[in-house]
Amino acid sequence: MDLAFSKEDNDFREEVRTWMTENAPRERRPRDLVAMREFDLAWQRKQYAAGWAGIGWPEQFGGRELPLTQQLIWYEEYARTSLPPIDARFVGLAHAGPTLMVRATPEHQAFHLPKILAGEVVWCQGFSEPEAGSDLASLKTKAIVDGDHLVVTGQKIWTSFGPVADYQELLVRTDFDVPKHKGITWVICDMKSPGIEARAIKTIEGGQEFAEVFYDEVRIPISNVVGGINNGWSVAMSTLSFERGTAFTVSQVQLSTSVERLIEMAKSRKSVNGRPVIEDEALAKKLARARADVAALRSLTYLNISRNARADQPGPEGSMLKLQDADLTKRVFKLALEVLGTRSLANPHEEDDSYWVDRHLLSYSSSIGGGTSEIQRNIIAERVLGLPR
Amino acid sequence: MDLTTSPEQDEIISSSAAFLRDRLPITRIRALFDESSNVDDAAWSGAAELGWFVLGLPEANGGVGFGLADEVHLFREIGRGLATGPFLSTVLAARVAAFGGHAALAEAIGGGQRVGIVIPGSSTLIGADGSLTGPLQLLDCEADGLALAVSPEQAVLVRVSDLTGVTPVACIDPGVRLCRADASGVAPIARVTADVDPVQRRGHVLAAAMLVGINEAVRDLSAEHAKSRVQFDKPIGVNQAIKHPCADMAVRAQLGYAQSIFAAVANDEGREDADYHAISAHLAAGEYADLSAAATVQIMGGMGFTFEHDAHLYCKRAFVLGQLFGGTSTQLGRLLDLPSAR
Ligand SMILES: Cc1cc2nc3c(=O)[nH]c(=O)nc-3n(C[C@H](O)[C@H](O)[C@H](O)COP(=O)(O)OP(=O)(O)OC[C@H]3O[C@@H](n4cnc5c(N)ncnc54)[C@H](O)[C@@H]3O)c2cc1C
Repeated sequence: MDLAFSKEDNDFREEVRTWMTENAPRERRPRDLVAMREFDLAWQRKQYAAGWAGIGWPEQFGGRELPLTQQLIWYEEYARTSLPPIDARFVGLAHAGPTLMVRATPEHQAFHLPKILAGEVVWCQGFSEPEAGSDLASLKTKAIVDGDHLVVTGQKIWTSFGPVADYQELLVRTDFDVPKHKGITWVICDMKSPGIEARAIKTIEGGQEFAEVFYDEVRIPISNVVGGINNGWSVAMSTLSFERGTAFTVSQVQLSTSVERLIEMAKSRKSVNGRPVIEDEALAKKLARARADVAALRSLTYLNISRNARADQPGPEGSMLKLQDADLTKRVFKLALEVLGTRSLANPHEEDDSYWVDRHLLSYSSSIGGGTSEIQRNIIAERVLGLPR
Repeated sequence: MDLTTSPEQDEIISSSAAFLRDRLPITRIRALFDESSNVDDAAWSGAAELGWFVLGLPEANGGVGFGLADEVHLFREIGRGLATGPFLSTVLAARVAAFGGHAALAEAIGGGQRVGIVIPGSSTLIGADGSLTGPLQLLDCEADGLALAVSPEQAVLVRVSDLTGVTPVACIDPGVRLCRADASGVAPIARVTADVDPVQRRGHVLAAAMLVGINEAVRDLSAEHAKSRVQFDKPIGVNQAIKHPCADMAVRAQLGYAQSIFAAVANDEGREDADYHAISAHLAAGEYADLSAAATVQIMGGMGFTFEHDAHLYCKRAFVLGQLFGGTSTQLGRLLDLPSAR
């Protein structure tokens, strides 16, 4: 065991840091959805041009295929920017792209993967439905085979970046008469197809990236099906083996930076009684506790990455990172409001302290999106500890 | 000893709940979100006609003559309904006017003149003469209206037009209007000290009552969703991960309610530990509402993260109410400094 990175890794870090300093966007990320898409894609194009696109992607698909430690380093350096951990590029790079790599035909791979890497397209994920959230397999959006097309009718919801996406990884029900996991199909949906309507849903912090998507007899070529009709469940789960423990690195490093900034703020600002905020002992101790907790979360990331670098299949431990990242994100940004005191009454988007209020409101989603914390706890209890289902 | 409600209190509860449901439904928060005012003038006049702003003012001062324990029931409904408008500060302001010797102003406030509230910053000061100084924030104030500023020792009314640099900024709570402003030795137009009328103590109790209403509202929303939302072929409420947080909300709602009415009665009976109980009520109900509202967002799943759903509105209002009268940290400090309860 050791904590020292190799000389090669340290040189790599130096290289990434220099590049980030010189190239990471400094302008504020726009809030308007169309402008946001352009901003995120422009950032991807810049990374692509400099050879940084798809650091974890296999070389055969145009990626860098960097060792896990260097991916970790990349994300750690990325986290020094104030760019969000997840943006419009996320589904393409981290979910749909990896799924296509393991399950799609060479033709689909050749068509889609370069576009994702080059920052030409946005993908979205059409999994959740009004009646199928945690119980994703109960999804009901219907697809009927009509010659060489699927005809899709139904509704998806919570589709992040749906209104500005080019493609969607779409789960549909192709068989209603078999156990629910067995009648699902994973299909590439062109979001410009006739019969699709994406309606924005405003979020609690005023964001616009959520959407509900309606499908009215949308015709999708059967050749867009990935992994075969009725095999969609296993296709949807195939990215689980791609994720190697780096998914929360950016969020986690930013959390640690946030805690340090909050400690600084608590020292330099005064509370209503005119005393420095840090003299509030209860608050000071919560800040100290947050330091310990971000340290532990970071160490867990290092441990997971070390293990995953040796294992063929990552274990269910990834759920632990997600769970703790969600809890801690909520706790730290709630703490930020305490440090800000009455300044945090002001709205997220208009004030200098906006970042904190914004992050606080966003943090409510951390224990819901990507599978709720309750579901993560079920997974940990059942798959790690073997508790009865 | 009896902490159950009287028939008069039951009447306050049912009539105020009905009024709020009909005239100030929660949907109005979103409807008025882009407007500069969050108040519905007609509904405000209606509330004035019902005597809401002088319910706890003695009859000798032109009020209805009820106790703080009666007002608690009104404010619990106002909290539950997330009613917009400066209800709390207007009720307190009527007292400052009445006990400060401004009967005509008290009557005007009782009749529907609105008064917002000052949120002090780190260097805001209410001087011994009642003059207001320092950078501050204003909640639900109108440019040509009045603002209430409160400290444990005294409460004053100032004219918003006597403040400088009054600038609207959007508030974290879409149902509340916030301004930044500055005061440099602004003389009050009415003033009352805590020995004459404990305005801040009453404020703590009424804020607590609103927080109780919020806690009860989210408890009911969560329980309803836990029963009706089906995932994995069962209502989500069969899972202890959902069932238990709902139970916690029920417990917190009862605790907050009990402490709020205890504090109100302690005030009405002139107990010497009334401040202790009032601050405890605000702190307890605030913490409880905060936890319950956040848990409600979680129980709602993706829906809880949308602007259209009410869950976030409860979170945000609970947060704003927690910032009143010094905010949590200051209140904790004060509570610790008080002698133990009787
Ligand atoms: C920011 C964000 C982005 C998202 N982006 C996308 C996207 O791009 N594409 C997409 O398809 N979806 C997306 N989602 C949807 C997300 O995957 C779902 O919200 C999530 O899976 C929960 O489903 P639900 O909202 O229907 O809640 P429900 O499943 O109805 O859950 C409600 C509550 O019940 C609990 N619960 C349910 N079942 C159990 C159980 N068995 N045991 C214990 N508790 C249980 C849940 O934990 C939750 O607290 C996003 C969500 C968010 C918040």
